[in-house]
Amino acid sequence: MTRGEWRDCRNGLLFISPWIAGFLVLCLYPVITSVYYSMCDYSVLSPAVFTGATNYRDLFTDAIFWKALYNTAFFAAFSIPLGVFISLSLAILLNFDLPGRGIFRTVFFLPSLVPMVCLAVLWQWMLNGELGLINNALKPLLHLLNSLFGSHLYPPNWLADARFAKWGIIFTGLWGVGNAVVIYLAGLQEVPRHLYESAELDGAGFWSKTAHITLPIISPVIYFNVIISLIGSFQVFAVPYVMTGGGDGPDRSLLFIATYLYQNAFDYWNMGYACAIGVVLFFMVVALTYVATKLSERHIHYSGK
Amino acid sequence: MAWLALAACQRGGAPTGGKVEIEYWDKWTGFEEEAMRAVVEDFNASQSRIHVNFSSVSQINHKLMLATAGGVPPDVSGVYANMIPAYSENNALTPLDSMAAAAHITREQYIDIYWRMCMHRDHLWALPSTPTSIALIWNKKLFREAGLNPDQPPRSIAELEEFNEKLVKRRPDGSLQSIGFLPESPDWWDPMWGYRFGGALWNGRDAITVNSPENIAAYQWIASYPRRFGAHDLMAFRDGFGNFASPQNPFFNGRVAMEMDGVWVYNYIKNYAPAGFEWGVAPFPSSDPVRLKDVAIVDLDALVIPAVAKHPAEAFAFIRYVNSRKPMEKLCLGQRKFSPLLACSPDFLRNHPNPWIGEFLALAKSPNACYAPPLATYTQFANDMSDAVNRIWTGKSSARAALDEVQLRQQAVFDRSLERWRRLAPVLTREWSAQ
Amino acid sequence: MSAGSGKHHRGARAFAFLLLLVAGVAFLAPFAWMISTSLKPLNETMSLPPRWLPSVPQWRNYPAAIAGMGHFWRYTANTLFLCGMNVCGTVASSALAAYGFARIEWRGRDKVFLVLLATMMIPYPVIMVPIFGLFKHLGWIGSFKPLWVPAFFAGAFNVFLLRQFFLGLPKYISEAARIDGCSEFQTFLWVILPLCKPALLVVALFQFMYTWNDFLAPLIYLARQDNYTLALGLQSFQSQNGGTAWHYLMAASTLVVLPVIFLFFFTQRSFIEGIAATGGKN
Repeated sequence: MTRGEWRDCRNGLLFISPWIAGFLVLCLYPVITSVYYSMCDYSVLSPAVFTGATNYRDLFTDAIFWKALYNTAFFAAFSIPLGVFISLSLAILLNFDLPGRGIFRTVFFLPSLVPMVCLAVLWQWMLNGELGLINNALKPLLHLLNSLFGSHLYPPNWLADARFAKWGIIFTGLWGVGNAVVIYLAGLQEVPRHLYESAELDGAGFWSKTAHITLPIISPVIYFNVIISLIGSFQVFAVPYVMTGGGDGPDRSLLFIATYLYQNAFDYWNMGYACAIGVVLFFMVVALTYVATKLSERHIHYSGK
Repeated sequence: MAWLALAACQRGGAPTGGKVEIEYWDKWTGFEEEAMRAVVEDFNASQSRIHVNFSSVSQINHKLMLATAGGVPPDVSGVYANMIPAYSENNALTPLDSMAAAAHITREQYIDIYWRMCMHRDHLWALPSTPTSIALIWNKKLFREAGLNPDQPPRSIAELEEFNEKLVKRRPDGSLQSIGFLPESPDWWDPMWGYRFGGALWNGRDAITVNSPENIAAYQWIASYPRRFGAHDLMAFRDGFGNFASPQNPFFNGRVAMEMDGVWVYNYIKNYAPAGFEWGVAPFPSSDPVRLKDVAIVDLDALVIPAVAKHPAEAFAFIRYVNSRKPMEKLCLGQRKFSPLLACSPDFLRNHPNPWIGEFLALAKSPNACYAPPLATYTQFANDMSDAVNRIWTGKSSARAALDEVQLRQQAVFDRSLERWRRLAPVLTREWSAQ
Repeated sequence: MSAGSGKHHRGARAFAFLLLLVAGVAFLAPFAWMISTSLKPLNETMSLPPRWLPSVPQWRNYPAAIAGMGHFWRYTANTLFLCGMNVCGTVASSALAAYGFARIEWRGRDKVFLVLLATMMIPYPVIMVPIFGLFKHLGWIGSFKPLWVPAFFAGAFNVFLLRQFFLGLPKYISEAARIDGCSEFQTFLWVILPLCKPALLVVALFQFMYTWNDFLAPLIYLARQDNYTLALGLQSFQSQNGGTAWHYLMAASTLVVLPVIFLFFFTQRSFIEGIAATGGKN
């Protein structure tokens, strides 16, 4: 390399040295150590003892782990598409340039600022079986349906009912879609007008324009959002922890992967086992990101890149 | 920024004016917290060497483990006795054998079962703070209304069910208005029902025995409730229960005529039950009242010194103070409980506000008194049992199937902890004996 | 400019407005419910059917909630301290790292940046246990250090954000500075950084929000109660024995949410632009 290149290399590395230090100490070291501990029996106040694949074997036959995985997958499978649908719809509606748009945008965005603990406490109250707002709004609706169809529907005691607890958590999360709404709105506003105009000249209606112009153009934004949501859904911890007081919920329906990892590390004195869960979690996130990328390559349209 | 930094600075355990400051965490709030605070103040005033800082900490089992694992535990902590096996086997506690011996504190001074709960693997890990025992409590007025003798509680499970049938009241639309007995109200002793049927949860050595025939019988009895009264009806009935510490407590507002509860219930009755509430206390019935007489579940709040505490000697001085007769009686009186010490001032029981304190005390001394199995994996075990009972209760699983599942899983978890113990025991026991 | 404005049928626009209105009400309702409950006396929180307006607003629920939480003002001070330290650390270290990734051409730069992007995929629970062990060996558990020292090590997300911005600045600025005899660091400090104030503000805001919000890290690193943050203090209040006093809890929650809402209203523009920038270009 030339002297200039050396100097640039040195300067570049100097500037990113905080990141390099952080990467080594707070990223590489923990990942490697986690893999090592995952193959040990480690109870934190005694030295770790190497036990090979014991933790992984136990994990494979651990019905509670699979339940936690199921709960996490359930949450991701429903909250991500619903989240995309709602936030995208709201963004499209906002894009109509109606009066009071700024106010609406603020209203949708504010809930995403609420700290997780407050969110959990508030929604625990909202979802209360007898006194919560959700059920008291649902009651007249279900009453109407019951009188029309002779059914016996009743609003569930969300967080105490194993069949509905996760839906309570999903609704809690959906309240925070405002973040995505803003992102999508910005993306929508970048769509070149002339595309819409030429489509209209060809006689395209609203749905046709949306399907063939809007969605393809903002597909990279959707993809990015889905990936971030996917990674986030594997880290769901604070809201169910606060709502259940650190527990599992009825019939373990609110036990998520991060919760089970935390319980093993900090309640059951099983840090080695917790690290094994962590390693499996890591591989799942990588695999899912890879799959999502491959799937989207066919559908994403990058303009001008 | 400087102000913020100053405001946020930690106060450390540095001596102030020659005094050693020690941290003491405990789980209590309300009147129970006040009772302990009074004793702490007495201790601080009684000598000038040690100052105890008392904090009321919620979710103490989580917080204590985190603090101990992180190397910053309090000097003294209150724990539930069922935490002792896990903490001791994982090297999180300071053994108290030599300090207790030096202070002439021995097993004979205590109600035996409580001393046993403080021992694990042949070492002493804790000393009692406040004991409890669990009994049958019934609402005399509801008994009278149902034509039952208000001073004669059921003596066997079969009799309990007979009374139950007489005490059930339904509304015109068929929904439950009140019931005689509901096993899940409250639901704090889910794992322990088997003891009332002669079952045990482990064999005392290395095997979990959750699915023994007696235990299955016990949980089949629990399962009979949703079968007899309708799972959905019972859920709706339970949803209407208010807070334990409020007038809407189902036992206080007449929804449930009999319940299983502990010695503290007196204080809640005094604060929240309607005026003139008449109640009785008796041993909770078992399946065979002759063979299984006075099967009482007991529980214990105990004081421990975490392993890496900064001031163990001073911490023990405080624990020793709490365990001497007068302070202990003051504490137990304040919490409306009896004392774990055998030697008791005559005034203590006589002047005790709880009219049934003698009954609770007798139950703690019963030869059939039992407590949660001292497993190092008790947290997982209790979680699993609660979950199993929940499934039995909602009809998702039969008693046998649920218990079989718990047996399989908890035996495996317990086996791992036994392996860990076998590996660590040589080193740990050597360390403990040296202290 | 929004696409299709004015070209839509009046009916369609009215319908869209109606939908927005319904959604707006739905999104605001929980806030209203929170405040309404916080001003009720206890018995009215339990009344059925629930009513929106308390008979007499119980403003004293707020001081009562503050007292019930224990060390509310200390929690606030602690949280502000941590937010301040985290914001300083993040802005400083991320700006430095982003500069190195964006404004200097050096061999292997883009490959290293790919590594940075990859680290964003690592979920925190995976590295939580070893990092806990690391802090334990350093003797930092129980102090605030684990909660702000990592901020000085340039988290991937903020580097990514700032790099985008730095890349957008024209090259000739740096070249002009170099010709004038500035070293790389001087160029960074006196030329580039002043141009980035909006982006730096966005990073600062995001970090403030994140630290105010953070629950898991304070949960595992803080031991003594008077060191708690507001998030942890609120959770501790909620999990106390004796059952939940919803009116106090809602009052406490409102108090914890309000500063964030205020901050948002004062810095709305930066917030919205910043969020838009995170998802727009990658």
